Order: sequence, then structure tokens, then C-alpha cells
Amino acid sequence: MSTDSRMLVEALGRWADRMELAAPELNALDGQLGDGDLGATLSKCAANIRKAIAPPPADIPGIFKACAIACTKASGSSLGTLLAVAFMTLTKETAGKNQIGDAEWPGLLAAVRDALSARGGARLGDKTVLDAIEAVRLGLEGTGPEGRLSAAKAALEAAIADFRGRENRIGRARIFAERSRGLDDPGMIAARHMLESIG
Amino acid sequence: MKKLLNEPNAYVDEMLEGLCAAHPQYFRRIGEAGRVVARTDGPVSGKVGIVSGGGSGHLPLFTGYVGRGLIDSCAIGNVFAGPSVDDCIEAMRAADGGAGILRLYGNYGGDRMNFDMAGEMLDMEGIETATVLGADDVASADAAERHKRRGVAGLIYLYKIAGARADQPGATLREVAAAAEKAGRGCATTGVALGPCIVPEAGKPTFTLAENEIEMGMGIHGEPGVWRGPLKPADALAGEMLEMVGADLGLGRGERVSVLVNSLGATPHEELYILYRHVARELAAKGVTVVRPLIGRYVTSMEMAGASLTVLRLDSELEALLDAPADCPFWSVP
Repeated sequence: MSTDSRMLVEALGRWADRMELAAPELNALDGQLGDGDLGATLSKCAANIRKAIAPPPADIPGIFKACAIACTKASGSSLGTLLAVAFMTLTKETAGKNQIGDAEWPGLLAAVRDALSARGGARLGDKTVLDAIEAVRLGLEGTGPEGRLSAAKAALEAAIADFRGRENRIGRARIFAERSRGLDDPGMIAARHMLESIG
Repeated sequence: MKKLLNEPNAYVDEMLEGLCAAHPQYFRRIGEAGRVVARTDGPVSGKVGIVSGGGSGHLPLFTGYVGRGLIDSCAIGNVFAGPSVDDCIEAMRAADGGAGILRLYGNYGGDRMNFDMAGEMLDMEGIETATVLGADDVASADAAERHKRRGVAGLIYLYKIAGARADQPGATLREVAAAAEKAGRGCATTGVALGPCIVPEAGKPTFTLAENEIEMGMGIHGEPGVWRGPLKPADALAGEMLEMVGADLGLGRGERVSVLVNSLGATPHEELYILYRHVARELAAKGVTVVRPLIGRYVTSMEMAGASLTVLRLDSELEALLDAPADCPFWSVP
């Protein structure tokens, strides 16, 4: 199986719907340690992306680039900027492509992981969205053609459960590191909504 | 929540509308979202542009210091939230006089990320840029980890120094950045919080302190400080703050400094002068000369109660730059 530009645009539409639905939950979760604007920021990204892909750009890199620019216009949580970085990375990585094969996703996620780490300064294990991306990547990679998505979802759930008891090691939540134990990282939960919406 | 506002979500935009309506000779509002303020008479051709930005809730910082001899433009986020990448790009364009752009803002992860990304996008267009970060909050990290310190009130000294250097004929981006860096190395701040503020979009206090309780070293968004305990006399607090910043800078006899005693918002000028009285005496006793002290509301956290003390070490270059002309609604040097 592979993803073409029409499927990508449809998936982004479902993604945008889900970000808006999940916004209150993500705001509340973020408000426990941060400033509580994660859901609002992602909603803004979703609304901007909806506008940017209607009508959709002609090819896959064009779609990703439009999404990246759309996310740079959302202020608030750092995750908005990180999304822009992720889409920019996907733009570069898919240059010249008309479709993305299923087997290419782990490589694309590795590129996104590295770009986010370089831009945001987080490392694996810091209890951030990076750990969610890595879990999904490993889940996709370790499975044959069948059941990739369910393996990715299971891997992400395992990572969320594993990190719950750990401390946040970066960002505003780091300041309240002790209090972050027992709380899910809002970025990881946002990643759960993203994965569920597109798959 | 008892605040003078119409809609919490309109707080920042209505504030900016009023700010620009009140001071049209200084400020013009631009950007797709109206979240960039630039000099009315800018960009200044041939001058290194200085751009800043950050969350709202700190007026006069950041936006208020857009003016001659200070910063050229500013990207503005929601209360205590960074500006968008797009607004950072817009602000940089508005500062571009063709001689390069210095990004000068406080050391916060989100702001850094957004300005860096905006910078990369402009670098692709061939515009030369550099970054200097305000990182003067001594309580936020040890001297060994200076680069991790948050930026607080001392940033306005960096604005003044960089702005004055950029106004000198032929100044290059590298020279302007070097002057800002020198000011940054010689600048240290600490604050004491007496009471919280309320972020309008959140509607609840940023932290809580018991009656008669204070927190020494607290950050301007309520980040934890050095100690929390009962209120002390002003002289004791001023002495402790001066001790912290003085030790950090390693101030010695015969040095010249500027001093900023700053209200975090609710604390009145009267109490700032009570603090300054003690600071001035202590510095005189140590043989340190104070030049151009600043006493007032320069960097706030809305209605947060408390004060911060900033000391800027001067040499002949920095003192001349501090004395150079500057003009904005909140700080003028004739």
C-alpha cells in the first residue's frame, strides 16, 4: 500500500477534525504543568491547514509545505512550531514524490524525530512528543505489511504508560519535574490523537 | 477575575490597538495577524535592524521599547506565550534596513525555537542575521550554566546598548551584536514576588502565596525561585538581592554600574525608592558608582506584586552607549 496526494489530503482533513475535538482535553492536560494552550494552538494549526489545502496543492511535497506555512501562523504552544518543523522536514524528504510507500514511513519519522530534536533541544527519554514519534516508528518498523498501524498504536500506548511515572526533563514542565510524575505528557497524548485520526 | 477587559481572547489585540492609537508617532502595527509593531519611521536604511519579541503581559517590555536608539520592531504573542514564527519573520522584515538584523530577546525555549526558525527562513533569502539572548536571571541557573538562565528585566539594557551602537555611523551587525553581548555578560537580575497575576485567558492566578509570604528569585511567569518565606523589611530584601547580583558579577571597588529597580506591576514607585535607597547606600559603601539609575515599571508581569533589581556593569564604551539618545514612550534619553 501507499499514500497518494488525495489520500494525504483526506487524512489531513480527519487530522484537523480530531485536533479540534481533542482541544479541550489537551488544554486541560497542558494546564496542569504548562500554560494550558496546547489544544488551542493545535486547533489553530488545524484551521490554518484546512484553509491551506483547499484547494489542495498539486503534489505531496506541496501539500506538506502548505501545512508547514500554515503552522507557522499559529502562536502559543511550542508544539505548533514543532509541527511546522515536522511538515517542513516531510516537504524536503518527499521531494519529487507522488506517493509514499508504507515502508517509507519509519524513515520519514526518523527524519522528523531528528529535526524536532535539533530544533527543540529535546532528546529521547525526556518525556516529550519525540518519545511518541519514536515509539510509533519502532512499531511500524517491527511489523510486516499487515497490521503495521495496530502495531504502531500498541507501541504508542505502551510508551505513554511507560513514561507516565517518569519526570519531564525539558520545557516548562521540567521546572515542576516532581509534579510531572504520574501525569501523561500532553505532547504524547496529542500524538495519540494524531495517530488515531489518520489511521 | 477582576480585570479591565472586554473579552479575554481580545486582550492582546485590543491592548495593541490602544497602544498604537496612543503613540502613533512611535508605533505602527503590521503583520497578517496585527501582532507586529514597528517604528513609524522605520526601517532605517543602512542601519542594523534590531528585532525583539515575546509574550504579552510585560509592558513596557517588549513592544514599548520600539523606538529610535532602541529596537526597530517586535513580534507579540498572547499573554505569557511566544509570538508565532510568521510574526517573527514579519518583524524581522520590518527591521530590515539592508545592513543585517540582530534578534535580541529573552532566553525562553519557545521564543528561541520560533526566532531561530524565522531566522533560517530569512537566511535563505540572503538577509544576514545574528542572535543575542537576554539571560540575566541569576536565580534561574548557576553561573556555570549561564546559557540556561532566563531573560528578565536586564533585557532593556541590552536594547539600549545595541540600539545606541546600531545608531553609530557605519556600525556592522557583528559590532552591534558584540556590544549587546558585552552588556549581557555584565548584566544580572534577581526579583522578589509578593503576589501573583492573573493571565486573562486562564482566569486564575499564576501561583499562590500565603498572606505575609514572599518568594525570592521567582521568575516573571511565576517560575520557582530560591526561597519562600515570611516578608522581611525592605532593606533586608534589597541587601539580599544586591548580594546575589553583586556576587554573580563579581563587582569590585571603583567600578561603575547602572541600576534598575523595577516594579513587577503592582508595587508602587514609593516602595521602589525605598529599595533603591538601600541599594545606593550599599553600593556607595562598596566604592561602586551608580550611573543613570532607572526606577519604575520597565518590565512587568501585569499586576504581579514585587520588584526586581538589575545591575549593569559599565566600561567607557557601554557608558557612552547608555548616555546616547533614545526615544520611546517609556524610556527617553535626550
